[in-house]
This record gives sequence, structure tokens and C-alpha cells, in this order.
Amino acid sequence: MAIVRGRVFGRVVAPLILLVAAAFFILPLFAMMRFALQNVQVIDLRWSNLFDKWSLAPLWSAFSDDQFGRALTLSLKLAFGTGLISLLLLVPTIVWVHLRLPRARSTVEFLTILPYVIPAIGMVAGIMVIKPHARWFLNSDLSLIPFYVVLALPFTFRSIDSGLKALDLRTLVEASRSLGYGWMRTIVHVIVPNLRTAILSCLFLTVAVVLGEYTIADVLLKRTFPAFMGEYRGSDPKGGYGLAILSLVVTTLIFMIIGLVSRPKSARRRRARGTT
Amino acid sequence: MTSLEFSSIRKCFGPTVALADFDLTIAPGEFISLLGPSGCGKTTALRIAAGFERADAGTVSLGGHELSPIPAHKRNMGMVFQSYSLFPNLDVRKNVAFGLKTRRLESSVIARRVDEMLEIVQLSGLGDRFPHQLSGGQQQRVALARALAVRPEVLLLDEPLSALDARVRSTLRDEIKRIQRDTGVTTLFVTHDQDEALAMSDRVGVMSEGRLEQVGSPHEVYQSPASPFVARFVGSINEIPSEQGTILVRPEALTIHENVLHGKWIGTVVASTFQGPSTLIDVRLDALDLLVRVHAPTGTYDGVAGSRVSISMVGDHLLAV
Repeated sequence: MAIVRGRVFGRVVAPLILLVAAAFFILPLFAMMRFALQNVQVIDLRWSNLFDKWSLAPLWSAFSDDQFGRALTLSLKLAFGTGLISLLLLVPTIVWVHLRLPRARSTVEFLTILPYVIPAIGMVAGIMVIKPHARWFLNSDLSLIPFYVVLALPFTFRSIDSGLKALDLRTLVEASRSLGYGWMRTIVHVIVPNLRTAILSCLFLTVAVVLGEYTIADVLLKRTFPAFMGEYRGSDPKGGYGLAILSLVVTTLIFMIIGLVSRPKSARRRRARGTT
Repeated sequence: MTSLEFSSIRKCFGPTVALADFDLTIAPGEFISLLGPSGCGKTTALRIAAGFERADAGTVSLGGHELSPIPAHKRNMGMVFQSYSLFPNLDVRKNVAFGLKTRRLESSVIARRVDEMLEIVQLSGLGDRFPHQLSGGQQQRVALARALAVRPEVLLLDEPLSALDARVRSTLRDEIKRIQRDTGVTTLFVTHDQDEALAMSDRVGVMSEGRLEQVGSPHEVYQSPASPFVARFVGSINEIPSEQGTILVRPEALTIHENVLHGKWIGTVVASTFQGPSTLIDVRLDALDLLVRVHAPTGTYDGVAGSRVSISMVGDHLLAV
């Protein structure tokens, strides 16, 4: 009886739950896509005209805006800087915590979740306090990087931390050191290559945070990609939502590429040979 | 070949004393085992030699040079760990070459050394495999090749066989001993397995609660234990009350008679374990109400449970306590 119930769950209920969850995510996106890229009045959108008058024109028009390229470049620079500084800060720190201060791990974990618990507007209030004293710094577009490093901490810490937990870190470090590698070379030659997946997911999450952050950029008057999208949506809603969809698609593609690249070499070779 | 010397080493972890006045000198080319139960401090001693732990007091010297100020990565010691410790992202060749790359050797020299090491550990055909494609025994051989490739002054083996199954353990045990003999590298081997320690070592150091109870050849620690702890820890022991106190007697120093009148103590066979060349027979002695274990060579007595037998001593007892 229990086996039959298990089979019913596996064949009927589980796919149904999956379908409902997929619909929950896909339907709003699909609606947004119809609004942005179908050249039909919203009031006239019906199932009957589902395939009518699709056009990428709103997107082309957004691309041709003078500010688009500059905003996207700035956001990519910020994402690169944020990712790099996050890695430089986090990898040695978390390795140290794992090896030398294992009891402090839960405290560090708690601290890193604070940016998630405290809304970005809290950080903005802090920025307003320091603004008069640090104009020289805040005038630069790249001044957003430290704030983004903090904002991304809940995600970046967890991806590196879980990557390290999956390794026999102590033994690998000691093996490397016994073979003549100092701490820095051990991190570069042993830990980083074995954290490839964790590092890639850390970078991906950083890009996602930077491409999605609006509040701080807006307060500091920086024309990042999200700030541009917000503004552009005001003047051309269809183009603005088209950009939002495009950014989702690009993010998903990056995620898929990371998934492929981060598979171990040997697994890729096995797949290429058609063996398991 | 270099000597390794521990002198008056003390190490505490909080209130726990891991090593107390630990003195040991390992001669050049010697294979010495530290044997003891879990928590006796044997791994701590090895980790202090490797540079992964700092002694609270005392010194460790390599060839007469004190090691304390030298960091782990500059000590030129090869180490093999209990968990396989191979770098999962590197294939076998790259794992073995890992330590050589930091020594700025020419790539042809590195390739030659890797070939030589893989041949020594009999894994020549598996150079392009990744660690997860190897068995536990093969992984430990690679770890051994990697540790030896850098031509270390001392080889440190931290229970390298304990994660392996019995057959592989026995084979690898012989191979490690052969390789050590061939290379002549000074070796410190840590184990809680007395069979390994006795079979492989030139000398065995038996440890208890952070102290070395005895250091001697395998024969010495087995046949002339310095303390009841050593007698009890190394091999099986019977503790029999007598006029001299309790005497400690090995099972092979007792003999069993089917005729109850021939022996000194009379008893009943409780159980017997056939081991091929011999049978271990557990006998409960009537007068002492004590269970003793007797070693009977195969063909002398099979040991049927419930049989009445007598026992006498054929060898000397080890200690009286």
C-alpha cells in the first residue's frame, strides 16, 4: 500500500507541484514579455493574439539610448570590482576561520547575514552621515564597490563557506605545506582550484546583486544599469520592461554557462567519451 | 639520511596534557613507530615535527638543527595522512609533481622523478587518472609517491593504513617497508595498530597519556615490556594471581593438556578461535574463577567448548605486578 502511495506521489503529485511552481515563476515573466515585446495594446491582449505582432523594437530603442552603454559598462565594472574584492577578502578569511577559529564560524556567519536583514536603506542612512566627510571618495563611480561587497556578503560568504565545507580543508592545506608551499601559494594553488564552483557561484551572485541594486546607486546619483532601467522605464515602459527581461535572460544564460564550466574536468571528459 | 630528535617536548591543549617530557631520537635511516591508544599524544608528536603544532616547551631538531623557527613548508619533510589528502583537481602525475614544482626544477627532471616515483609505488600506468578514479590503496600509494618525490629528510606517516581494508593494508604495509628500506629515508610512523608497528619498525615507541612508556625493538617491547601498560597494549596478555602477585603471561607461554592431572591449573574450555596456524582457546580456571587465553599450535589441541583441561606454564611470565 505504502509502495503504491509512493508511486502515485512520484508520478502524479511531484510533477504537479513542479508544474505549479514553474507556472508561478513563468506566467508573470510571460505577461511582462507580452507587455514589453508584443505591439498590442494591453487592453487587447488575448490568447487569440498570442503570436501576433512580436517585435524587438522597444529593446533596440533602449539600446540606442546614449546612457545605455555607459550604464551597462559601469555596472559590469562594479560587478568585476565587487567580485574581485569579495574573493580577495573572503577566501583567506574563511579559510582562516575554518582552520584556526572554527568556533568563531557561527559568529562570522551571523555577521555576514546582517546586510540581508538590515535593508539597503539602513546603509543609505549611514552613507548620508559620512557623505560630507568623504566626498572625495563618494564622487567616484567605483565608490559603490565597498557597499556592494557588504550587500553581497550573505550570498558570497555562503557560497565560499559551503565550498570549503565540501573539502577536507585541513588535510589539503597541511599536505600542500608539507610539500613546500607557504600559506599564500597554498591558497592560490590548492584552495582556489578546488573552490572553482564556489568561486564561480560567488561571482555570479555578485553580478546578480550588482545588476539588481537600485537604492544605493540612486541615492549616490550613480548611473548604474538598474538606475538607468528605472529611469528609462519612466520614459518608455515597454523598452524598460524589455531590458528587465533581457537582463533576466542574460543572467540565466550566465548561470547555465557557469554550471557547464564548473563541472570537474574528469566528468566533462567522461561525458565526451560517452561513459559514466 | 638525517636524524630527528625530540627533546623534553611538552604540549597542552587547554587542560589536557598531550605530551609531557617527550624525548625521542630517531637515527638516520631508521623506521620508528609511535604506538598507543587514541589520545595518547602520538599524532601530536608527529604534527610538532611537521610544524603543524607548536610545542609549549622543548625542542625538535633535524640533523642537529633546531626546527622551531622554521615554518612547516620549509622543513623538507614528506607526510602521508590518514585521509588520502590528494589534490582532487590534479591527476596522479600532477599530484606527484606538486612538491617538485615549488623547488624550481627543470620540467624534464620533474617528469623523470615522477616516472621514477610512480614506478616505485607500482602505479606507472595510472598517471592520468584523477584521485576519485583510484581505490583507497592506490590513493595512498600516490600520496606516498608525492611525499617521497621531494626527497624529504624525514618521512612522516600519520596512520596511513587505517582507512584501508585488511588485505590492502597488509600489502601496502609491506610496500611501505620495502620503499623505506630502498630509499633509506628516516621515518616516523604513527599507528594504533600493534601488528603494523611490530611488523614494520626498527624500533617501536609505546605511548600512554602523553608519555613514552618504552622505546625498543619490536622483540623488546613484546617480550620484555617495561611496564604493565606496554605488556597489556602490545599483544594479548593473561593476568594470573600467584605468590609473586599478579603475573602477566602471554598466551603462547601457556600450554594446554587434555589430561587434567598434567597441568598446574584445571579449568573448562569456554570458546576457541581457529586462526590457521594456531587456535586461541579461552579457558575458565576453576580455582581462580579466571578466564585465560591459551595459544595452541594447530594439530595439538582443537579446543572443544565444555571440555575439562589443565594448563601449565612453558615460558617465563613477563612481569609481576
